Parts: sequence; C-alpha cells; structure tokens
Amino acid sequence: MTGMLMTLFVTGIELTGIQRFLLMPPLCLCIAIVYKTTRCENLRDVPVAAVILWATIVIGMYAVGLGLWALFTIMV
Amino acid sequence: MSSQVHPFVLRAPIAGLLTWLVPGLGHIYLGQRARGLVLLVTITVTFWTGVAIGGVRDTVDPHKRRLWFTAQVCTGGYTLTAYALHRRLDRAGNPTPVTHWSAADIGVHYTGVAGLLNLLVVFDAVGRADSSAPTRRRKGRAAEGAP
Repeated sequence: MTGMLMTLFVTGIELTGIQRFLLMPPLCLCIAIVYKTTRCENLRDVPVAAVILWATIVIGMYAVGLGLWALFTIMV
Repeated sequence: MSSQVHPFVLRAPIAGLLTWLVPGLGHIYLGQRARGLVLLVTITVTFWTGVAIGGVRDTVDPHKRRLWFTAQVCTGGYTLTAYALHRRLDRAGNPTPVTHWSAADIGVHYTGVAGLLNLLVVFDAVGRADSSAPTRRRKGRAAEGAP
C-alpha cells in the first residue's frame, strides 16, 4: 500500500494530446466549488452556483483558446 | 489594564493558521463544519491530484519553480509534506524518471491553484472569525440586559 502510494506521488503520469485538455474542467470545478463555498452564506446554494460558474469558466476558457488558436492560424 | 487577552481576539489568527496548515480546518474550528469539510476535500483533492500528475520532484520544487512554489506554499501543511518527500528522495539518490513537461506543468498548475484557493479560504476564515466576534459580544451584552 505504501509502495503504491509512493509510486503514485513520485512518478508523474504520461499525458498525450487530448488528455491535457480534459484535465482543465476538473480544475475549473474545484475553483468554482471553493469560490462559491466561501461566497454563499447558505451551503444549499453552493451546488447550483458552482455548476453555473464552472460552465461559465470552461466555456469562456475554451472560447478564448479557440479564438487565440484561430488568430494564430490566420497570422502564421 | 487587564493582561488577559479576550478569546475573540485570538479566534482570527488561530483560524487563519489552522486553514493555512490544513485547508478548511479554520472553518471547522469556527463551528462551520460542513463548509470546512467541503473546502478540505476540494483543496486536498486538487493539491494531491496535481502532485500525482506531475510527480513530487517536478511539481514542488522551490529552485526550478520559485513563483509557483510561492503559490503552492499557501497550502502550508501539504506543500511542506510534499517538499519533505522531495528532499527525502533527493537525499536517498532515488533515480525517478523525468516527468514529461506537459504533465509536470499541469501538476504545477493544479498545486499552484490549490495554494491560491487556500489563500482565499484563509482570508475567508479570518473574516468570518472577525465578523462573528462583535456579534457574539453584542448578543452577550443584550442577554445581560445592556443597551
């Protein structure tokens, strides 16, 4: 068990192509949950508010990424 | 002048310090258990996922990634644990394979963001400790019949 944990945290994982993009939504979800947990006075409001914020961040970030990629493709 | 420190004066620094050591612990100390547990689980998962993605040697490194380490150290307890593991591996001369740059970068982002989120949580805990203190004092005075 200890050896498995050591291996998990000592050796990094191999990431290729699309996997790098797929790791952004979970990070955005964590940001949304923590932010809304500190802002909402009633904890029952957190899930809905966090999902809305998460969707806004993810859509916004992908839109900015696509825009920059399109700009780069046109200019180069 | 009384030399005894009012207990409410210490609530904010204690809550801040506890949150810096373990995310969410300050809220639990202030009696907001559910909020503290949500913060604890979320920031813990974010930080250690980052370490698992990038590997501890490439993720928590104050020499190669000084600015990111400054962000990471806002999750004090976890970063110090990870850095202790890093140092231990270095001293043992353990040859770990070099992590691919993209995995190391993503791991650093996860841990750095966890640190910055914990900084927000520290401020929130201190603010809640400060804001709850006068209210309780006022309630106490009202119960005693003061105007």
